[in-house]
Amino acid sequence: MASLSSKRVYRTVALGAITALAVIAIAPFFMDIYTTNILIRAFYLAALVMTVDILWGYTGILTFGQSAFFGIGAYACALVFTHYGFGPLWAIGALAIGILAALAVAAIVGWLAFYHGASPLYASIITLALPIVLVQLIFAGGRWTGSSSGLSAFPTYYWSTETWFWIAGAYLVLVTSLGFLLVRSDFGRILVAIRENEERAAYLGIPISRIKTGLMMASGAVGAAAGFGYAAFTNVVAPELGDFLLGTELLIWTALGGRGTLIGPVLGAIGIDVTASYLSGTLPFLWKLLTGIAFVVVIVLLPRGLAPILGQAIGFVIPPLRRKPPQSAELVPADWRPIAASFDAPPLKIDELICQYGSLRVLTGVNATVKGGELLSIVGPNGAGKTTLMRCVSDGSERTAGRVYVQGVEIGRGAPQSIVALGVGRSFQNTNLFDTLTVAECLMLARYGVDGAPMFARRAEIRMPEPALDIMRATGLDKVLATETGSLSHGMKRGLELAMVLATEPSVLLLDEPTAGLTKAERTAIGHTLKRLTDEYGLAVVLIEHDLDFVREISSRIVVLHQGSVLMEGTVEEVVNSELVRAVYSGEQVEAVA
Amino acid sequence: MSILVLDIVTTAAILFAVASGLMIILGVMKLINFAHGAFLTVGGYTAFLTTEAGITPWLSAPLAAIFGFLAGIVIERLVVRPLYSRPLDAILATWGLGIVIGQVITLTFGREVQFAASPMSGTFDFGAIDYSAYRIVVTLIAIAIGIALTALFYGTRFGLQARAVIMNETLARGLGIDSGRVRTLTFGLGAGLACAAGALITPLLSVDPNMGLPWLVNSFMLVLVSGVSIPSLALASLILGGAQVAVSTYISPIIGGLTIVVLAAFILRINPRGLGLG
Repeated sequence: MASLSSKRVYRTVALGAITALAVIAIAPFFMDIYTTNILIRAFYLAALVMTVDILWGYTGILTFGQSAFFGIGAYACALVFTHYGFGPLWAIGALAIGILAALAVAAIVGWLAFYHGASPLYASIITLALPIVLVQLIFAGGRWTGSSSGLSAFPTYYWSTETWFWIAGAYLVLVTSLGFLLVRSDFGRILVAIRENEERAAYLGIPISRIKTGLMMASGAVGAAAGFGYAAFTNVVAPELGDFLLGTELLIWTALGGRGTLIGPVLGAIGIDVTASYLSGTLPFLWKLLTGIAFVVVIVLLPRGLAPILGQAIGFVIPPLRRKPPQSAELVPADWRPIAASFDAPPLKIDELICQYGSLRVLTGVNATVKGGELLSIVGPNGAGKTTLMRCVSDGSERTAGRVYVQGVEIGRGAPQSIVALGVGRSFQNTNLFDTLTVAECLMLARYGVDGAPMFARRAEIRMPEPALDIMRATGLDKVLATETGSLSHGMKRGLELAMVLATEPSVLLLDEPTAGLTKAERTAIGHTLKRLTDEYGLAVVLIEHDLDFVREISSRIVVLHQGSVLMEGTVEEVVNSELVRAVYSGEQVEAVA
Repeated sequence: MSILVLDIVTTAAILFAVASGLMIILGVMKLINFAHGAFLTVGGYTAFLTTEAGITPWLSAPLAAIFGFLAGIVIERLVVRPLYSRPLDAILATWGLGIVIGQVITLTFGREVQFAASPMSGTFDFGAIDYSAYRIVVTLIAIAIGIALTALFYGTRFGLQARAVIMNETLARGLGIDSGRVRTLTFGLGAGLACAAGALITPLLSVDPNMGLPWLVNSFMLVLVSGVSIPSLALASLILGGAQVAVSTYISPIIGGLTIVVLAAFILRINPRGLGLG
């Protein structure tokens, strides 16, 4: 279903692509041969820079290694043409080899760099190691790879410079258009969400490692094809095409052009590479010095690069080019039938759960079972281990020992997104959102596990389960769908947090102080919704709460946690009237009796 | 065989000396200083200038350390300070700074390879084998650096404050520690150490504007594997440096050049905390 906003993006991209192609078609007739030659190189590098911007500018993966893929494509061309054969089939074969090799290398990089829990720095290290390893392998290749002097004078097509220019230009326009559609699509919003708050995205069921690896592979393929085209045109390859210095130069162009704008880095790459070619003849070192200074200044003072500033200036002069407020998708009810009741196994069973950090035991053997349709409240003083308990249930790598079963399935050491896939939804104690995304975009993210996200389009409708819609209405969120979440009020943020968790259609709901800091009216609305979730939808809800009045109204059972173990468990009346609980809350020393 | 052992020990000592400046900055400031390679180069050229001026080569490392310390303090104020909240951007800004330093050096001294005098030539006689005397001296200096750093961090007021900032910066500030001053001094110290290391290794190699780059990558890997701890960095240097020497000797020097990078990447994949002593 193509929405209005989707159509607008298609129209913009088509218009931009046609204009660019028209300019590229006539440009060679107005330029000298030297400029044309430089631009061919610049076009291929710009395609590579585009992939750097998608990885770094949009997704937040600082990559030093995209040059390696360029080198792989270039060497695939040179090696096949030099040693094996030349002709149309050989050319297609060499291109295919280059792309396949790039895909394989990118998959290995992804496996190494993007496992669950990897720090962003580690991913950068791997991308830094990649071109260094590649260049050393080229050196080690001896006469086969031409070692440090590379390969040259292999057979290639002796087409006119104009033809090569058109090929390079068309390739750049093609991949940039696809890149543009990608970042403007619903899937593109997911990339931004990963950049803004990776942990939260994982808890919404977004398979981050898979997405990053896929993105790396696609970027690798685009880079390898560009490298192939460049090698076929110049007839020369050298290790510099794949080295770490080119990789960092790609970052410099992206930063100067404006990361996260796509068009900025592409134009930046073309502009800087062409200027460099002219100036480096006369002022080689001075030119590099000036780029270095500009780079430092931009990173320190203008982290978003030059494109946004130029964009604003143009928008100021020509009003129709001003950025229009984004159109927001509409919410429509989704048909949600929880599966909880049909299972024999309880939705959530916690068995002898232990969690310790070094010698500090936070949880010392917690047992609990939550049935469908039951609302279990966990109370206890600060530091009792309540939030740790939630963390151990929603992330398999957190606990030290013990077992957790969701719908009868042991969670093992699963990452948050795989536990979300089992049906666990978790809300956070701290409001933990994606500041630059709008309300509607956040909800769209939360639906990723259920509805997916189209790669090159935007949907006009976001399907939401009824209880989530109730929350949206109760907190007034349904009227501010196009607002960025960074500027919402506290109450609205809490409401959105809850609506996002419900949008994942969980069968087990873990709520960490969902009503903290809310008004009476908002609490009542949330209380009603929780009641409805257990009574009508049969959800198993686990609630951490300090407000005992709120707990009393909605809970079916209460567990009192104290110093990492279950102190008491029982009905609302039993617990609320217990002397023991009063003693714990007033800070008296108690012996565990439960 | 004993030559191999000496090679491993001296290589490890050199790696330790080169990486220590990077580690100190990472530990206190949580910042990867990609200008580290350029600082090494600056140290190399200080040694070269000392030779040119006819001053005794023994003074080149102390002079480089003083120069690096002062330059580091200025750079911290101008470039690094605005980036504390953006660690990945700090990597890029310091890399850009490295380019600027490299180009200034190129404009001043030209691109060609140059040499600095060694404070001592000749060999030590270990019974059956002769071994380069200067490599032994560098090893001893590296050990001295390790001891001095330990003394600094565990025996002085600055060290106590720096360790407090490493553990919990917010809390340290709450206790009245001027963490800005600690950061400035640390960056100066790291830069000074890097320059001194550059001056130390130069007599073994040669000077050119890009001499720091391979050292940057290796030190970076070593520091990530070791974590922030002086003994742990020494251990990492010994293990990875040893592997590098062994691979270079028995397989090929080209593959040897890759050993540290590849091994470190796999060690960190298996255990993200590296050797985990720190």
